[in-house]
Amino acid sequence: MDLTKFDEDNSKSCRVVSAIPEVCKTTDCCLGIDEAGRGPVLGPMVYGICFCPISMKKDLENLKVADSKTLSEDEREKLFAKLSEANSYIGWAIQILSPNSISTSMLQRAKYNLNAISHDTAIGLVQYALDCGVQLKEVFVDTVGPAEKYQEKLSKIFPGVDVTVKAKADALFPVVSAASICAKVARDRVVKSWTFIEDLDVDAEYGSGYPNDPKTKEWLAKYMDPVFGYPQFVRFSWSTAQSILDSKAVPVHWDDDEENGEKAAAKQNCHSMLSYFARKKSGDTKREPHRYFTERKLETVSSL
Amino acid sequence: MSESRVTTLKLSTLSQAEKHPVHFLPCEIEHNREANVDRYFTPAINKNKNEMTVSFRGRALKGQEINLPQGYTGLVLKEDHRPISDEEDRTLRVKSTFNSLTYWNLETQPTTDDTIVMAMNWPDIAAAIHGAVED
Repeated sequence: MDLTKFDEDNSKSCRVVSAIPEVCKTTDCCLGIDEAGRGPVLGPMVYGICFCPISMKKDLENLKVADSKTLSEDEREKLFAKLSEANSYIGWAIQILSPNSISTSMLQRAKYNLNAISHDTAIGLVQYALDCGVQLKEVFVDTVGPAEKYQEKLSKIFPGVDVTVKAKADALFPVVSAASICAKVARDRVVKSWTFIEDLDVDAEYGSGYPNDPKTKEWLAKYMDPVFGYPQFVRFSWSTAQSILDSKAVPVHWDDDEENGEKAAAKQNCHSMLSYFARKKSGDTKREPHRYFTERKLETVSSL
Repeated sequence: MSESRVTTLKLSTLSQAEKHPVHFLPCEIEHNREANVDRYFTPAINKNKNEMTVSFRGRALKGQEINLPQGYTGLVLKEDHRPISDEEDRTLRVKSTFNSLTYWNLETQPTTDDTIVMAMNWPDIAAAIHGAVED
């Protein structure tokens, strides 16, 4: 797994792929999808697919792949090596969603939530396999959200493919376990060797990255900058990060912030009904500047 | 504000002023002092052909560099001693100068319709409409 392309610019998302085994282009195949690093406040989320001919499912099973969560990092690396060795009939691909792309998507003006991001990423990877000529007949997906709706959505997008979406699919189907290993290995490696794009002197004692990990909490508390908040390694869209910034960093206001009550009304120039009946204040005849100036936000300043 | 108060700008400090890059962000930051721009912001700017991108507090920004109008210089002023009362005179020095700046839009591509780009045309227009008419 060559992650140099991502390491070169870890602010953007990136796809890393294996070679496509020839046999997968000529025989019916099954494909598993799983993700790694959905929960952590730090680092990327990685989506993985793994595929092999349906007739060789037993061979894949014999590699003893298991749900990546039940394995240690060493065991996962060993299993990934086995999957790579079996490149005559097993192919894989991963999509690394950088923490920066997760933050900026979720905090976009037109909000793009994590479920939608997940679905689109999974769909993109399946499409990639199809575009490469993999003869897909079965797709197995692990999910956290409601399975039925997701299954219906995927079946519609990929007619002719038998889609199974199930919670804990990574423990039930070896091809999903294999996908989860690819994803988790990539996530582990990326987090371990994270190069900060920022010019910072930080330690790597950030723990698992899960919000409830004491090491992660400590790291987040230690490295908060009052103005910039955090390096791009942190997912700003996570409530863990946001609540620290809300209480400790300097406030930042955007023009699309949701404001409530009076302030918002004042901004939108909404007047109370009563104000129409009120007597105009006599001194209140200041001339509005011409539209030319208001449009350009130009103002006369007479004191500093 | 008191009418008798005098604000002095020490122009002698202009020659010693350094040149610092200026970034104009599409948000209000409640902070009016030094910030770690060189460590957090500048290294994270992605320059791709004619597109500049970066993020601030997890929000995507797209930017462009613009020059100040011909014959103008931008000044960053600093008040070393804040006056205690309203009557006290104020003294400011030039901390740094700039002739161009980078402005950033929230998610949208910079265009010539952006407020700050349009605002930079005012000095030319002002000169034209207020200038002496030659026959």
